[in-house]
Amino acid sequence: MSKQQVNITVRNLSVGYKKGKKLIAIKEGINVNAHSGELIALIGSNGIGKSTLLRTLTGFQKALGGEILLNDRKLSSFPIKELARVLSFVSTEAIRVQNLRVWELLAMGRYPYTNLIGTLTEEDNRIIKRAIGQVGLTGYEDRMIDQISDGERQRAMIARTLVQDTPLIILDEPTAFLDIRNKYEIIHLLHDFVKNENKTVLFSTHDLNISTSEVDKVWLMLDDKVLEGAPEDLILAGNFDQMFHSEKVYFNSESGDFMLRKNNLGTYRLTGPDGNILTWTGRALQRIGLICAESNPLVVVSVPSERDNLVWKVEINSEEKLECTSLYELTAVLYERLTKR
Amino acid sequence: MVNNRLIPRDFLLFVMLAMLAVVLFVLDLFFGSLLIPFKTILQVLSATGNVNPEIKSIILDFRLPKAITAVMAGMALSISGLQMQTIFRNPLAGPYVLGISAGASLGVAILVLGFSSVFTLGLFTISGSWALVIVAWLGSAAVLFLILAVSIRIKDILTILILGMLFGSASSAIVNILQYFSNESMLKSFVIWTMGSLGSVTSSQLNVLIPSVLVGLVLCFLSVKSLDVMLLGEQYAKSMGLRVRNARFLVFTSTSILAGSITAFCGPIGFIGIAVPHIGRLLFKTARHKILIPSSLLLGSIVMLLSDIVSQMPGYESTLPINSVTALVGIPVIIWIILKNKKFSSV
Repeated sequence: MSKQQVNITVRNLSVGYKKGKKLIAIKEGINVNAHSGELIALIGSNGIGKSTLLRTLTGFQKALGGEILLNDRKLSSFPIKELARVLSFVSTEAIRVQNLRVWELLAMGRYPYTNLIGTLTEEDNRIIKRAIGQVGLTGYEDRMIDQISDGERQRAMIARTLVQDTPLIILDEPTAFLDIRNKYEIIHLLHDFVKNENKTVLFSTHDLNISTSEVDKVWLMLDDKVLEGAPEDLILAGNFDQMFHSEKVYFNSESGDFMLRKNNLGTYRLTGPDGNILTWTGRALQRIGLICAESNPLVVVSVPSERDNLVWKVEINSEEKLECTSLYELTAVLYERLTKR
Repeated sequence: MVNNRLIPRDFLLFVMLAMLAVVLFVLDLFFGSLLIPFKTILQVLSATGNVNPEIKSIILDFRLPKAITAVMAGMALSISGLQMQTIFRNPLAGPYVLGISAGASLGVAILVLGFSSVFTLGLFTISGSWALVIVAWLGSAAVLFLILAVSIRIKDILTILILGMLFGSASSAIVNILQYFSNESMLKSFVIWTMGSLGSVTSSQLNVLIPSVLVGLVLCFLSVKSLDVMLLGEQYAKSMGLRVRNARFLVFTSTSILAGSITAFCGPIGFIGIAVPHIGRLLFKTARHKILIPSSLLLGSIVMLLSDIVSQMPGYESTLPINSVTALVGIPVIIWIILKNKKFSSV
């Protein structure tokens, strides 16, 4: 495996596109860094320019201004063949080539290293085999890539970057279109490469709480700037709240994810022992638009203490008293009563 | 497990296909309006024994050039189809669909219908043959590079395919207008040319056709590695270190030469270019061009030789136009591709 390491330095970068002769900048004055051994998530709302930034960083499109340095060397000074040994890429596009076996797809990753007709050496075969094992696709070598699941295909695409053996890997939304389990597995896989092989891995994503629990750093694209920092730094500084200008969506810094703002139905207080039942009763009440308050709550719910006798006792406005046997019943009844008032 | 070595099954398939091609080649010499004993054919081919010079001439001057032309046409059209399918990542791409054959026809039409003086020069001499083949290359290259020029601005591969069809239709329209304004004898020779015939290729034309096709094939062999990564699309190819524009130029040049040369001498032959690479994929179950190129060469020869034998209609005096036979062979394959491709995935 490669002993090389790559640090990225982005200075005063402008990204955008050419329209006719005009240069249209989507984002200007970007200053961010990435170090080897770091897993970095690029986060931002749709259309803010994440893909444009990634395409610029991979050299697919020219920067409109500023500079991108890979270990103090300008990205634009890399000949395409040399760059292919430094940087590999996974796009959002789902590859649906027919009759292409997993093994053949991975073998393509050796392109920068093989001879004119692409003969694979023993060493090449060894590298491919190792990558297949690393992403957990052993036994899938002969499977056609249009006949495996989305998660398996994404892992194969990532294995191809391992075969390409580059110290820097850039992925555009690698977790899009995957189910929760696969999302976690993909991010975890990337995390492993970074920690075990000292690679630098940058990926864009919308899966906020999955990525913030694994990444070392976030590049957060906002309307007027790009911020960087540990995910927790950005959460504490309230930066995620600036991502959307929406009255409906807000960043819940407790759960580390975005939530829908509800109509305020009133306040509640829970009584009963701490535990799962208490937590989830609170979540259920918040879901219908109640807010937790210690003094003068509109609703007081006494939470059952044990699983075998699930009865919630409810007191509305200190007068009306109810008993419910499930949270479904509780939320339905409360919602009906409170919206009528 | 697959690896870079030829697995026994693939090797066996190649040997069988090669043997089939040889058998069909000899059979193609055997069938014709005159029944020549098999033994005599083998004697002529091996240059042994005493054979009637007339029969020798039928075999060496007519049937052999025709069989060689069939092999050339099969190889050239299949390889240009394979390259187009990979470059445009579309299973329905081919020299015929993208208007490349039509471009070559336009070149030929301008030569045949526009400059009657060429006939005094003679289309069947070496210089006339070169003139014919060069205008066909120029015609197909013109269409291809027009598509390339657009593809720099428009990245969407399906749009390019549609544009290719439009350019092809435009070329055909110009050909029709040229036909309208030309005199009867010129028109007749042009119409015969459009029907496509393997048998009209003379030995002297073969001296032009064979080297042209070989050059086109060598250029394709040079692209074997880049064609593989181009399957994943431009971005991935670039990210693996391929100079996409140069690689495309090489592939387009090869395709223009291959499709242009065949169209120049045999007329537009449809559907072989689309269908044959798919038969190869079906048999070898792979996307690697190291396997697909030789399989298309062999299968292309086999299909064309077979089509030629069928078009002879053994036992009858007359022959069928080769274009109709290849259409009947190719179209079922294309329908099968469309039915199989409900998701419409890439090649």
